[in-house]
Amino acid sequence: MGLDINTKKAKKNAFRISKERGIGASRIRVPGGYLKAEILGMVQEIAEKYGNGIVHLTTRQGFEIEGIHLEDMDAINEMLQPIIELLDINQQDEGTGYPASGTRNITACIGNNVCPFANYNTASFAKRVEKEIFPNDLHFKVAFTGCPNDCGKVRLHDFGIIGMTMPQYDPSRCVNCQACVKGCKSLSVNALRVENYKIVRDEEKCIGCGVCITKCPTRAFTRSKQKYYKLTLMGRTGKKNPRLGEDFLIWADEDSIVKIILNTYRFVKEYIDPKAPGGKEHIGYIIDRVGFEEFKKWALEGVELLPETKMKECVYWNGIHFDR
Amino acid sequence: MKNEYIPFPSQVKEIIPHTDIEYTFRMSFTKDVKPGQFFEVSIPKYGEAPISVSGIGEDTVDLTIRKVGKVTNKIFENYEGNTLLMRGPYGNGFDIENYKGKEVVVIAGGTGLSPVKGIVDYFSDHPDEAVSTTLIAGFKSPSDILFKKDFEKWEKTIQVIKTVDSAPEGYEGLTGMVTKYIPDLPIVDMENTVFITVGPPIMIKFTIMEILKRGIAEENIWISHERKMCCGLGKCGHCKMDSTYVCLDGPVFNYAEGKNLID
Amino acid sequence: MGYQLSRKTADEVFGKLKERYDIFAPKLFQGEGCFSDTDIIRYGKIDSLDEIEYERRSDYSFKEALIAINETLFYFTEDETTVPSCTDKKLLIFLRSCDLHALKRLDAIYLENGPEDFYYKRLREKASFVLMGCSQTCDTGFCVSMGANQTDQYDLYLKLDGDFVLVDCKSEELAGYFQHLETEDCAVTADYVTENKENVTLPKNLSVDSFQNPIWESYGSRCIGCGRCNFVCPTCTCFTMQDIHYRDNSNVGERRRVWASCQVDGYTDIAGGNSFRKTQGERMRFKVMHKIYDFEKRFGYPMCIGCGRCDAVCPEYISYANLISQLAKEEA
Repeated sequence: MGLDINTKKAKKNAFRISKERGIGASRIRVPGGYLKAEILGMVQEIAEKYGNGIVHLTTRQGFEIEGIHLEDMDAINEMLQPIIELLDINQQDEGTGYPASGTRNITACIGNNVCPFANYNTASFAKRVEKEIFPNDLHFKVAFTGCPNDCGKVRLHDFGIIGMTMPQYDPSRCVNCQACVKGCKSLSVNALRVENYKIVRDEEKCIGCGVCITKCPTRAFTRSKQKYYKLTLMGRTGKKNPRLGEDFLIWADEDSIVKIILNTYRFVKEYIDPKAPGGKEHIGYIIDRVGFEEFKKWALEGVELLPETKMKECVYWNGIHFDR
Repeated sequence: MKNEYIPFPSQVKEIIPHTDIEYTFRMSFTKDVKPGQFFEVSIPKYGEAPISVSGIGEDTVDLTIRKVGKVTNKIFENYEGNTLLMRGPYGNGFDIENYKGKEVVVIAGGTGLSPVKGIVDYFSDHPDEAVSTTLIAGFKSPSDILFKKDFEKWEKTIQVIKTVDSAPEGYEGLTGMVTKYIPDLPIVDMENTVFITVGPPIMIKFTIMEILKRGIAEENIWISHERKMCCGLGKCGHCKMDSTYVCLDGPVFNYAEGKNLID
Repeated sequence: MGYQLSRKTADEVFGKLKERYDIFAPKLFQGEGCFSDTDIIRYGKIDSLDEIEYERRSDYSFKEALIAINETLFYFTEDETTVPSCTDKKLLIFLRSCDLHALKRLDAIYLENGPEDFYYKRLREKASFVLMGCSQTCDTGFCVSMGANQTDQYDLYLKLDGDFVLVDCKSEELAGYFQHLETEDCAVTADYVTENKENVTLPKNLSVDSFQNPIWESYGSRCIGCGRCNFVCPTCTCFTMQDIHYRDNSNVGERRRVWASCQVDGYTDIAGGNSFRKTQGERMRFKVMHKIYDFEKRFGYPMCIGCGRCDAVCPEYISYANLISQLAKEEA
């Protein structure tokens, strides 16, 4: 009797069908790439019991347990349960593994848990968005990075969230040492200058990276209480037209970003090509097809941006075209 | 309580240009002041700069200012009849009494001549009060020579060696560094000789090396230090060297003490 | 005179004090640290005892309550100068023993070194000092090594002790606030530490020869010249003058003095381009020698009081305490 597997269902259950007949891989999502070390032991246990003892660290900060036998999927799902619970992944039925795989694991750089440059806790924002959007079969890629260095390479994602801070300047604490000016010039965009021994910030030029704040020896520059983000849209890799995501919102708040991502799911449901192979069409191609104006209308529904948020009315993408 | 930071206005009585960038401002000032002391000179809105006294008159004091910074650039735009704001005088200055009855050798480089000019003036006016007086003054080039009129006067009463580091062809004066003229200085009694040297740090260093080769005691050498001074009052800290505040304890030091002052 | 007050009574006394005093104390400034979601403890005006950060040492010292980071010396209009008026109120400053020892160093520079400083003196005369005891040592401090762990030079000692506040009042000026209260007199002695985690031995034989020690260059090569060590130090007093003219009326402006750091570029620059300490190694040597050698030569006691703030703040993990200990070890 041959192996009788519903591969569509298996894939949606976060298993990969490998090139070797009967053998697959189990994919574990780790939102924000942030996990308790004890999970590593659980992954090890599954890999040694059902896999070939090898685990791949995926490009999206998950684990892929290699060499599992497809007939063991149910047993593996049982063993995945404590991992799913520890990582607080949304799930309808206990013990059945991951309910979807289209919406990919949400990635994040290490963020302000560790990194001195980061402007926010990337892992906790990643987890918040994971809770909002998963499970979903639609193909969405979301990534978080702590500062405009973009170590998280979020501009290769449908939604890239880049941490910003609005520098708060108290001239009465400034000693004109110019550490901020030098820092901004050498590490960032040269948005600061000195006038009458005090610092003038070019608000148009400033990218909110926070270098001035980390360099300031007297706490004349401090971070804004409000955390700000830049939202970049529709970056992608791929065969047709790889491109970097473009800025959509600058100085945006967390709630607006969450709402825009959720709205985009509705937009995609409305406009996705029903004949798309495997029901899978990347959002970027949908926007290319229906136009940015229409996307924007859907994305901004019910969104109340902060007064200081700057929105790009039009967004144009470039990238490399192999499809023309 | 006196607020030492408040400057007083002083009238510019006369302007004596030396070079394109160095002018002497003769300021009205009636209180006591010694050669080697300095004033904090300021123009409202632009800032202060420490300037040495380069001459002392009945009711005037000379400030020779080199156009080197933002502050002094602005001062050059003010001329006779206007006022400048001043604080001071600050610092210890040179004590003429230390040099009377001796063989006096003054070695100065560039604007370093300003703080010692009062001493040269004194012994030029009272040549009998020293056994002999020699001035070795060095400038970068003939066009940098300061106090030209004064040199004419000094040359009549004291020994003057006026040299330039480099000169265009055909220049008739002396050339070379001031150090070149130290080995051959005619000195009768080394124990009764004093050297006073002021100029850029590098010049002072080599001048003193040459002087010491002549076998003079460190106690008979006097130097004056130019350092950053924001207050002149022993507060701002910039001029401190070791436990010494140049603005309070200097800028004039006996070399036996001054040699231990390292920046 | 010692008192034990209920917290409620203490709060009432505080309210009365506020009428006559501007009260400065270490406060937690949330989110204002160098890095995202980090805090800073520095001095600020307080309105209640609750605002005081009593447990941890402040990152920046008390000195900014007496020496403003930016102090306007006078305003000028044409030929007139106007000195800004001073607050009518008196000053009450909460601080720890190390900082009270540092006050003596500030006094030495501003009141004894050359003429008295007008601006410092007018505030200093208004100031009273409230000692916050230390029930345990901070991490990087070495006050015991420097003899700054204990003091009786306070006007008031105040300890928050659960529902009670313990007070010892030495000042006549402040005694009136406590004498009439219906409280039980009790003996109150100030908390102080007798041991630190850091122990520092001062080198005894420093001299001009120490300038040649390769240690300066070795530490200097790690230094980025940011000046944090100076700005947090309760005994650093240097400043630079700034003259500014207002943009909308260039005939009007002000002269101010602003904190300066001997580690930051420009500190020794003079007009014409000369600069006297160009390398960070020379600047490190200048600072350390001032703290433990030449200040003492001038005033009779070391400048450093061992608060350890410079070690805690250095982004390059340069330990001044360790540097000093190494100098001492080399002598042994």
